[in-house]
Amino acid sequence: MEHFITHPDPVPGMKGTHLIVLGILAVLLVAAGCTTTQQAPADVGILYTKGTGPMPTLLATKQIDGYIAWQPFVEVAPVAHIGKVITYSGSLPPDDRWKNHPCCVLAARTDIMAANPELVSDLGAATILATQYVNDHPSEGADLVADWLAGRGNFTYGNVTVSSVEVLDRAFPTVKFVNEPSEQWMAGQVEFIYALRELGAITGSLANTTDDQSRAILFDTGPYNAAMAMIGAKSFKVPNPVNAPVGVGYLLSDHDASLFVAVKKWQYFNDTYGIALRPRDLTATRPDTVDLLIAGKKVAELKLIPADAGPQLMQLAATGAIQFAYVGNPPTIAAIDKGTPVKILMALNDEGSGVVVITDSPATDWPSFVQWAKERAAAGKPIRMAAPGKGSIQDVMLRYALEESGLSVREVQA
Amino acid sequence: MKKPIGIILPILILIAWEIAAQAINNQFILPKLETVIPVLLHPTVDILGTGSLLHNALVSLERVGAGFLVALVIAIPLGVGMGWSRRLEAFADTTVQLFRPIPPLAWGPLAIAWFSVGLSSMVFIIFLGAFFPILLNTIDGVKSIKRTWVEVAQTLGATERQILGKVVLPGAAPTIWTGLRVGFGIAWMCVIAAEWLPGTTSGLGYLTLYAYNFGQMQYIIAGMISIGIIGIAFDILFRWVEDRWFAWRGLER
Repeated sequence: MEHFITHPDPVPGMKGTHLIVLGILAVLLVAAGCTTTQQAPADVGILYTKGTGPMPTLLATKQIDGYIAWQPFVEVAPVAHIGKVITYSGSLPPDDRWKNHPCCVLAARTDIMAANPELVSDLGAATILATQYVNDHPSEGADLVADWLAGRGNFTYGNVTVSSVEVLDRAFPTVKFVNEPSEQWMAGQVEFIYALRELGAITGSLANTTDDQSRAILFDTGPYNAAMAMIGAKSFKVPNPVNAPVGVGYLLSDHDASLFVAVKKWQYFNDTYGIALRPRDLTATRPDTVDLLIAGKKVAELKLIPADAGPQLMQLAATGAIQFAYVGNPPTIAAIDKGTPVKILMALNDEGSGVVVITDSPATDWPSFVQWAKERAAAGKPIRMAAPGKGSIQDVMLRYALEESGLSVREVQA
Repeated sequence: MKKPIGIILPILILIAWEIAAQAINNQFILPKLETVIPVLLHPTVDILGTGSLLHNALVSLERVGAGFLVALVIAIPLGVGMGWSRRLEAFADTTVQLFRPIPPLAWGPLAIAWFSVGLSSMVFIIFLGAFFPILLNTIDGVKSIKRTWVEVAQTLGATERQILGKVVLPGAAPTIWTGLRVGFGIAWMCVIAAEWLPGTTSGLGYLTLYAYNFGQMQYIIAGMISIGIIGIAFDILFRWVEDRWFAWRGLER
């Protein structure tokens, strides 16, 4: 007890500095509590799930009333009997606004474009040839994507077991595989800049640009034209030698089917065109190392790097961990705006997303969905929809469509 | 009769699990045992193109082994130094205390930028997880060596090098070993989290996250059980060595 009585600190075992730190923390906590303001309730809440991963679980446990996602995760809900698809992204309102909307793109870092333009157009050519193959052989394409994404395995949902091939077969017709960076496509991309500005996601080099200036910053169609010329001439240029493996990021989605098919059907492309992406491990379902072959000879080693969502890929591109990305356009636009040295080279797909709602929802299409959302908002229980990320293409489309239908939207605060 | 009693609770949990799973009948909340057990019984069957449970477990173990080894090689010499020299401790302790509370996974974005995607950034995160328990236990082990042991050695004319090698290290070994055991446990937890970094294509952590995308809870739970079993196995191994070689500590104190 002697020790306690003579203890110099106000609290036994606690030094003065500790008390000061605790005091500052307490002040900060109180300040934070006082400055939190109550916002007016919105008609629809949007919850961001950083990718599609949590969506089926959140829907099945009724923590959300629906979600908007890219394929094939739209189809997971109906096959698992946890939700139903009310609309695919091309049909979202306003009328024709999202028909053939741009989605995933092939982007490259400007340093590799300058140092090795042949490599860039070769990868572009391999992608274009694979896109043609997918459009000519959709069911084989779906099967190869099912192999890439799930080893052609089965998904089990309680008593229901579904083949991944069947899921991809359902998803494939809702995606349009195109590569041409057409006028209409570029105009669609530039439209996203306006949406991203409204969301506050564009604050850098694209904050105040005219449409023409935006285009000049975003696009370089040179590699696409070079690739088409090489395909026309059936002759592919050998790129400069590369010392280190070239990083190629992609999303685990059938939107990037052209990459998966280019690798899976490498033998066909090698024999038919003399350009191919041959996996090092021919037995791997998701190869991570492939060689670019020109006329049967290895000219570059590529590292294929998957990610859950576009912003991750753009982070990798910003640090030079990858040189190419098969990725959604809003993350690319946002990254270019922030100074990431990347250009958009060509399209990969149009459309290919969808809106899912919980099975017992009365909604069957967009108008009845809007009706349902209004009723729930009036009852003081606004519906919650999940989107993969703030400013993602799915987020932008859903917000536009909801606001167009007279529903206010707000991010769900945890 | 410790062991037979210890097995009762897990069995009760399994029974409760199955009853609850049947009652809830929603595999997203709780998958039924009969969907999980077949996954565990066939550890060599491919899962969603990601490789088998066994393959992914070995990949994760390889990564944790690498990170753990780097942590051990750096933390033990540094810990001996800090435990032995008050000046070195005074010099480095504030820094160690500043970095220690940062969860290893918070380093993820920097790890990717510094070491690029793949093995080295994962090894860095695992290293961070294992480093501090090993370091702090080593410091503690060296500091708690009885002064009398060192004084005896000094009286007998031992050099500082001899004292460190023959008295300090062996004397601190049991505490260092505890640090290794705790460090490995944390490293094993970190590997699962490190495999959630972008660019990963294999490992038990990756497998569970990948299965999540498709709502395949039976693979997630099978992965979790594998993670738990491997963790226990290594803990038992570390304890077995502790009992065998370092049992003298309990007798001595």
